[in-house]
Amino acid sequence: MTEPIAVKGLGKDYGAFTALGALDLAIPAGTCFGYLGPNGAGKSTTIKILTNLIRPSRGHATLFGVDVQRSPTQALRKVGAVIETPEFYGYLSPLEVLAYAGRLRGMSRTALASRSEAVLKTVKLTGWADKRVETFSKGMKQRLAVGQALLHEPDLLILDEPTSGLDPRGMAEVRDIVKSLKREGRTIFMSSHLLGEVQEVCDAAALIDHGKLLLQGTLDELAKRADTTAFQATFLAPPNPDELAWIGTLPGVKAVSPSGNGVVEIRLADGPEAQAAVIDSIVRAGLRLTAFRPIGTALEQLYLEQIQETEQ
Amino acid sequence: MIVGEDLRQAFVVATYELRKYLRSRRLIGMGVLLALIVGLILGLPPALGSPYPSTPNDFVGTFAGFTSLLAVLCGVLFAADALCSEHEKRTGYFLFPNPVRRETIVVGKLVASLAASWLILFLYYGVASVAALVVTRTLSWDVGLSAAYALVYVACVVGIAFLLSSVLKGTIASTVLTFFLFTLIFGIVGALLQVGDVSPWFIPTQAAAIISNVLSPPSVPPGFPLFVPDPPTSLAVFAGYFGVSSILATALFRRRELKT
Repeated sequence: MTEPIAVKGLGKDYGAFTALGALDLAIPAGTCFGYLGPNGAGKSTTIKILTNLIRPSRGHATLFGVDVQRSPTQALRKVGAVIETPEFYGYLSPLEVLAYAGRLRGMSRTALASRSEAVLKTVKLTGWADKRVETFSKGMKQRLAVGQALLHEPDLLILDEPTSGLDPRGMAEVRDIVKSLKREGRTIFMSSHLLGEVQEVCDAAALIDHGKLLLQGTLDELAKRADTTAFQATFLAPPNPDELAWIGTLPGVKAVSPSGNGVVEIRLADGPEAQAAVIDSIVRAGLRLTAFRPIGTALEQLYLEQIQETEQ
Repeated sequence: MIVGEDLRQAFVVATYELRKYLRSRRLIGMGVLLALIVGLILGLPPALGSPYPSTPNDFVGTFAGFTSLLAVLCGVLFAADALCSEHEKRTGYFLFPNPVRRETIVVGKLVASLAASWLILFLYYGVASVAALVVTRTLSWDVGLSAAYALVYVACVVGIAFLLSSVLKGTIASTVLTFFLFTLIFGIVGALLQVGDVSPWFIPTQAAAIISNVLSPPSVPPGFPLFVPDPPTSLAVFAGYFGVSSILATALFRRRELKT
């Protein structure tokens, strides 16, 4: 079966600056794929090439087997996209915006009416259906952007930081929408720099930085590659320097650093067994431990490690 | 090649562009301006105790003197920001990821600009003709010819405005340049060419003199170097500018990347 997204040697230069190196990526159907990276990593560049907003300097990208550069209209037919926070024509209402997109896609009046009602309900803009977009906040425009991307029930959704500009409740709602689309079996390609977001909704992810793909895999595969040996121990009273030095001598402990208010960061050499032994020793020594938890998620640690490596 | 699906999409783009002119009050603004010009032309002579011109050509000739300005304003309001605004205002992020070719978008916008501009000129000449009929009790074919020349001239203005809109980054720059190109720059170039003994037949604003000349031919004193354009050449100039500018605008808009 043809992959919804297949990218081979894709790159983009702006003069001497390489925004995207030579990206190889293949997203299987039905996957919710997180595209991770810091600002300026090349995420938006990739998405802009995929949606025919910019031309690649090398390589090619296909959507459902159709080359985006050669046949953009055919390639984008089954795609819904939200790129950055798009602006809409201020003189139109959400219903008219949806009608514009729907009519361009050749939707019938009946389908357009029913789908418009449904997506406005999904993105919680029903009460604003007839108001002009020029009065909308950034968050409302982002909801409308998500709505227009869903209008024609696309097989592939390309979302460039879809929760950008939304308040926490709006972010949660968009994540719920993405999850429900995932349950429907649609393929979702979502860029983000919010690791929690990717971890919550995606099955697989790729990490890029400075235009280079650093790693990719399922979230489980990525988690296994992460260094999950950094912990935060919280004590009832801050340990004194002697106590800290003693913790540093415990078997399996690589480094100890206090970070104030009774919190101490402990880096271990090994996995769960070393962790259990350290906790046991601390408690036996009479240091009053109130919490002991990993610092960040596996994905966060992997992300920071990889980004740090490319910075160096 | 524009095919059936593209034509349908171009029509959709055109209807939404026309909606823009209506909602942003550009069409109404032009209507108000048109009413003002008509009001002044019809109201001032009686107010000053002067008679109206007695022949239909002279009567409509007064109106035709303002046609070029109206055409330029149509270009400024309906065409100058048509393409660059999609980039500058970031509405391209909504429009371009749809399965619609950039060429189709340009065609749709061009159709809307021409339709709005022609509507304004049609109304203008309509009012002028009715007034001429009421005042002089007659009408000549020359009025129709002047109107036809005006419609072709405004297409030339719209085409050049589209070209500027495809090249320039900002809507303000495109709008201002379109306005001054037709009200100042072309005029200066035309005058300088004549000083250098070069016929300015290829300058649109000079060629546009056929709109008035068809109604009241200019009297050129012997030895006076006044350029008098001939209609076939001027129409070819208008068509040439429209065609070349539109094709270039389409090609440039197609190649332009949405990077902002």
